[in-house]
Amino acid sequence: MKTKTLDENLHLESIEQPGSGSKLLALLSFFALIFAAIPFFYLIKGAFSGELDLIKTVLLREKSLEIFATTIALMSCVSVVSTLLGVSLAWCLHNVNLRSNSLLAALVILPIAIPSYVYTYSWMSIIPNLQGFAAAVFILILTTTPYITLAALAALRRSDRAQLEVAQTLGLNKWRSFYFITWPQIRNTVSAGTLLVALYVLSDFGAVSLLGVDTFTRAIENLYRGSFDRGAAAILALVLVAISAILITIESNTRQRSKVISTSSKLMPSIAESNSGRSRFLASLLIGLYLIFALITPLLQLLLRFISALPSIDYGNLFRTALSTIFASLLGSIIALLLALPVGLLSSQASRIGSLTDKSLLIVHALPGIVMGLSLVAIGSELPIVYQTVALLAFSYALLFMAKAVGFVRTSFLRVPKNLMEISSTLNQSKAQSIRRVMIPLATPGLLTATLLVFLSAMKELPATLMLRPTGFETLATEMWSATAILQFNEAAPYALLLVLIAAIPAFLINRPDKSEESGVNIS
Amino acid sequence: MGDATVPRAPFRKNLAATVIAILLGATLSGCASSDQEQSLTIYSGRSESFIAPFFKEFTAQSGIELKIRYGDSSALAAQILEEGENSPADLFISQDAGSLGAVSVSGLFSQLESSLLDRVETKFRSSNNDWVGLTGRARVFAYAPDRVSKLPTSYQSLIENQYKGKVGIAPTNASFQAFVTTLIQYQGLAAAEIWLQKMVENDVKLYEKNSQIVSAIDSGAIDLGLVNHYYLWEVSESLNRQINVQNGFFEAGDLGNLINISGAAILNQSTNKSAASELIKYLLSDSAQLNFVADTHEHSVVLVDARPEGLPSFAEIKAPAVDLSRLSDISQTQKLLIKLGLI
Repeated sequence: MKTKTLDENLHLESIEQPGSGSKLLALLSFFALIFAAIPFFYLIKGAFSGELDLIKTVLLREKSLEIFATTIALMSCVSVVSTLLGVSLAWCLHNVNLRSNSLLAALVILPIAIPSYVYTYSWMSIIPNLQGFAAAVFILILTTTPYITLAALAALRRSDRAQLEVAQTLGLNKWRSFYFITWPQIRNTVSAGTLLVALYVLSDFGAVSLLGVDTFTRAIENLYRGSFDRGAAAILALVLVAISAILITIESNTRQRSKVISTSSKLMPSIAESNSGRSRFLASLLIGLYLIFALITPLLQLLLRFISALPSIDYGNLFRTALSTIFASLLGSIIALLLALPVGLLSSQASRIGSLTDKSLLIVHALPGIVMGLSLVAIGSELPIVYQTVALLAFSYALLFMAKAVGFVRTSFLRVPKNLMEISSTLNQSKAQSIRRVMIPLATPGLLTATLLVFLSAMKELPATLMLRPTGFETLATEMWSATAILQFNEAAPYALLLVLIAAIPAFLINRPDKSEESGVNIS
Repeated sequence: MGDATVPRAPFRKNLAATVIAILLGATLSGCASSDQEQSLTIYSGRSESFIAPFFKEFTAQSGIELKIRYGDSSALAAQILEEGENSPADLFISQDAGSLGAVSVSGLFSQLESSLLDRVETKFRSSNNDWVGLTGRARVFAYAPDRVSKLPTSYQSLIENQYKGKVGIAPTNASFQAFVTTLIQYQGLAAAEIWLQKMVENDVKLYEKNSQIVSAIDSGAIDLGLVNHYYLWEVSESLNRQINVQNGFFEAGDLGNLINISGAAILNQSTNKSAASELIKYLLSDSAQLNFVADTHEHSVVLVDARPEGLPSFAEIKAPAVDLSRLSDISQTQKLLIKLGLI
């Protein structure tokens, strides 16, 4: 027994051969992938089980071309503007010395807690005739910008300031030094953020539905709601999946492998010491305007509606609904983390299977919630024991948002210094032991962030929840939605407000600049 | 094996495992305890605001707990069809006869007791005796009285140029689909397709719900819309003010004046059929029927003389003679709507 272990360890130390730990990881990732494949399986089954004639009818009608054009246009407009806005906001927060940068950063990220349908609801109760494409662009920019800001801010905090200062000493102006020095260091993170935004727009249902914009998700939802034949919707969903797959491929091909080598032994303080009054004014203006549209106005509106609803609030139901929401989302985020751990770990080790799994999971992220819901309904009727249980709902959350967790898991593991792992293996630790004792503890803050991100998304999830929740089980999102659906804007307010308040907690936590993250960069 | 060589890192695995165990335990026990005997699971295509007060009253009277899943009638019908014999639903309440008919055709409903069937006029129940109407409603055109100078006399009038871009419909809505099914059944598929095609060419506006059509008329986005009669009150009550919308009827016998029902059926696999029958019996009782008339402004399918305030009785509406049991082929209707890009 003892000799065998020694042999194993010796075997592990030879770097060329993947060890038993890697095999286990690959196996676990494979399981995660199988789970992620479930919705696709039912989607394909649904699309081709009906009449083949239907496929032609659905794809070859004029309407489908309109849907395609609208979806692509919406996605492009939102992605471009959100990226510009998000990076600008992050740059201002990072580089301009404002009165309280960390508080402002927290506020700028806070809209991440506000789902698109809450934005739409609150702006519609200000502008009753808010409808159409431009409105959807506006709402979705508000909704998605924090994802870019968050990514860009994190990347800026990690970026090497010394190089920037050298460049500026050598006479590069601000724009050129941003372009030549900072941008290469943050572009991979930002482009990953842009991809997330594009996928968000592709799978968003709440805003486009309320604003009457015919994108793929709305068309799919309408077909699901308005037709017994799920084949038609499944066909459109497959087209949507194809678009997402193309996007993911493009993004990963444009991603540059350029590794920026950090030369400074110590990171510089994050905020430049001196700024001109003009840049301070412009930065404040940008941040202020953004906060007015994305945070202050909608929250004020929610608050006003809440106050008018005060006499008629059913507090018991509000409390019950909040508990249900937290419970289901928490369960979902834990399952997501468990599924994401092996995948993230594997892909952080530059394994081909890992990155393949990683990409497949991103495609799952672009599946609209309604498609996930219906595919799991299809399993549910075969497996009555899990059908309409919180467990199945949580599982759907895990599948929907696992991709988000994987990204965070991967980067957290990537930031664990390699030399610590090497030291661990020289101390006679097997690879699995090293992962358990060295990598995971060091990556814990990142893993928590990943879990929080899933929790946050799950709380806001609507269409899959509507399909999969146990009968009589309401979340804040579904209660808000059913009140809005019958125009009871005041009745919807308490649920919307509580949803935003609860979601704000993880949103705050996610944004906390993470000390260990920086130290990780330092050591490597 | 080498445990002493590396000190244990502060690792949260145990904590996480405990949390998961608690959550899973709670979930499972939640599932187990929900499996009580005296409870009914209802799929309701009627919205909560209309029917929840009746359910509450029933629970108070009978002690039978209700678990209710609200949704669109056709989506819930599709869900029942997909779930088949495994459906957890005991009872399906639909906002139109077509969704009931579609499930009835697949044989998933059980026969109703004759005491229930006999309460309701023959034309408001299934010819297979497996669903029964609960309330009656008329298709109308809702319109803004100050903006529509010439009222349409037939649903056919809506393709005229004077209504271009001013009419709203809700093609995913079960009641609209029942109307199109009526066109197909009584005028033929080709005629129905031509009418819909001309509506599209006349720039008809699409909405998801009847209530959205009524509020779009109120806000001035459109002038007319094809809806069920009672949405006027629903929108007005939820906005808590008078709205600038009225109901209009087409000329006598026009298919646009279709009278439809909201109805109920018991599923075959229900293990609690007697409780489900109790609920239907309650909803068909004189007192519940009078409450429907007074509160949701619908017509009674039992007390023919009772009618909502300010509305013509069924006899006065001069509805077309349509056999509601013939409206079960919704799939054909939906295929047509898909082909024309309406859904």
